[in-house]
Amino acid sequence: MSSKLLAAASLLLFLCSNAHAGLFDSVTRNLGTITKAAKATEKAARPISEEEEYYVGRAVAARIVATYPLLKNPGLTEYVNSIGRTLSLHSEKPYTYGGYHFAILDSDEMNAFACPGGIIFITRGMLRAAENEEELAAVLAHEIAHINNRDGISSIKSSRWTEALTVIGSSAAKQYSSREVAQLVGIFEGSIDDIVKTLVVNGYSKSQEYAADKASIAIAQKAGYSSSALYDLLGRMAGRSTEGGITKTHPDTSDRIDNIKDLIKSRSADPSSLSRRTDRFRSAPTTR
Amino acid sequence: MNLFRLSITAFLMLSVSASAAFAETARVSTKEAVIRDDCRFLSPIKGRLNYGDELEISSREGDWLKVRSKNIKGCIHKNAVTEKQVELSGTSSKGSSASGDEVALAGKGFNPEVERSYRSKHPELDFRTVDSIEGYGVSDRTLESFISRGGLNLP
Repeated sequence: MSSKLLAAASLLLFLCSNAHAGLFDSVTRNLGTITKAAKATEKAARPISEEEEYYVGRAVAARIVATYPLLKNPGLTEYVNSIGRTLSLHSEKPYTYGGYHFAILDSDEMNAFACPGGIIFITRGMLRAAENEEELAAVLAHEIAHINNRDGISSIKSSRWTEALTVIGSSAAKQYSSREVAQLVGIFEGSIDDIVKTLVVNGYSKSQEYAADKASIAIAQKAGYSSSALYDLLGRMAGRSTEGGITKTHPDTSDRIDNIKDLIKSRSADPSSLSRRTDRFRSAPTTR
Repeated sequence: MNLFRLSITAFLMLSVSASAAFAETARVSTKEAVIRDDCRFLSPIKGRLNYGDELEISSREGDWLKVRSKNIKGCIHKNAVTEKQVELSGTSSKGSSASGDEVALAGKGFNPEVERSYRSKHPELDFRTVDSIEGYGVSDRTLESFISRGGLNLP
């Protein structure tokens, strides 16, 4: 055994000695080639990067504001951004490529949308449905969870990204040819369509929504908000006969309640802090 | 036996010299990032960095990295960087060993060029509004005060 060890050590010394630098260089070069090939294979199958997610999210946001006008209320927008930023820093992904930004849509529809990358929209109707800061935080935390989980990006048909990788991989130059740009724009356009269709028409899968509800409670609670807010809000929504908005794109409200009921802690927020937050919610610039 | 000892010594010396040629580095993976004084969110900002800027990691503290970049020392959250070992030339922090292919592939795919073409194809889409939304934010001091006044937990 010791002779084998001695032989191995001697071989290593032989390989590493200056006298045999040429052989050592050759081995290193070959290893480099193998590593490079492995890296190239890895790149060919890579997922959508955070930077690419950002550009996809910007285009999705542009599509949404083309349908729903933006509410220009700086005071209310800052209030919503303060809540949203607090929550995002307590989430699994406190930073995204372009950061989190929260905007209000001037629509009576009760809805909220998370664009890939970090732009989150909440409608005036959804803001009105919230009775306090805790409930507003619960809605925003749900949308942050969709971004953390990259649910928007996962709604892009996989064939589109496979096609995009073929174009990306085939171009050796730093700049694309006009034909390649046209191909990529077509794929980009299709990807935006997939996401907008999911956000506005079909909704995410039940499992994605249930996961976002659970994560919403965890994020809100970590930030110091009441854990029962989402439960309370969904409870009121279940009693209403609303059409469209989140009732169209989300699972049945009573099923969502069942999914989270065990996560509610009886006393999760300090009463005096809760009262201060309710006061500032009431004094926030109105949406009415 | 002497030969065995010599071999082991040589192996150890080579290992040490090989590791000395590398330093643990990372690159900023977000559009903009900040180096903070302490390893916590909302700690005073010591410097600002851009996507791709290189950092030298000196140590780790939970989800934070103690780093140095552009002569600024401080903390950055692990979520704002991508870690990868980059070969250094001498003691300089410059001289990344990233290959030409890697550089060329960086930023490929859905990038500003693709967005520009998409925008010209869809002039009805209002990207200026999207740009203004990206300007929505809250300063660290405002956020700290908001958290404190509401009895919320500091991140």
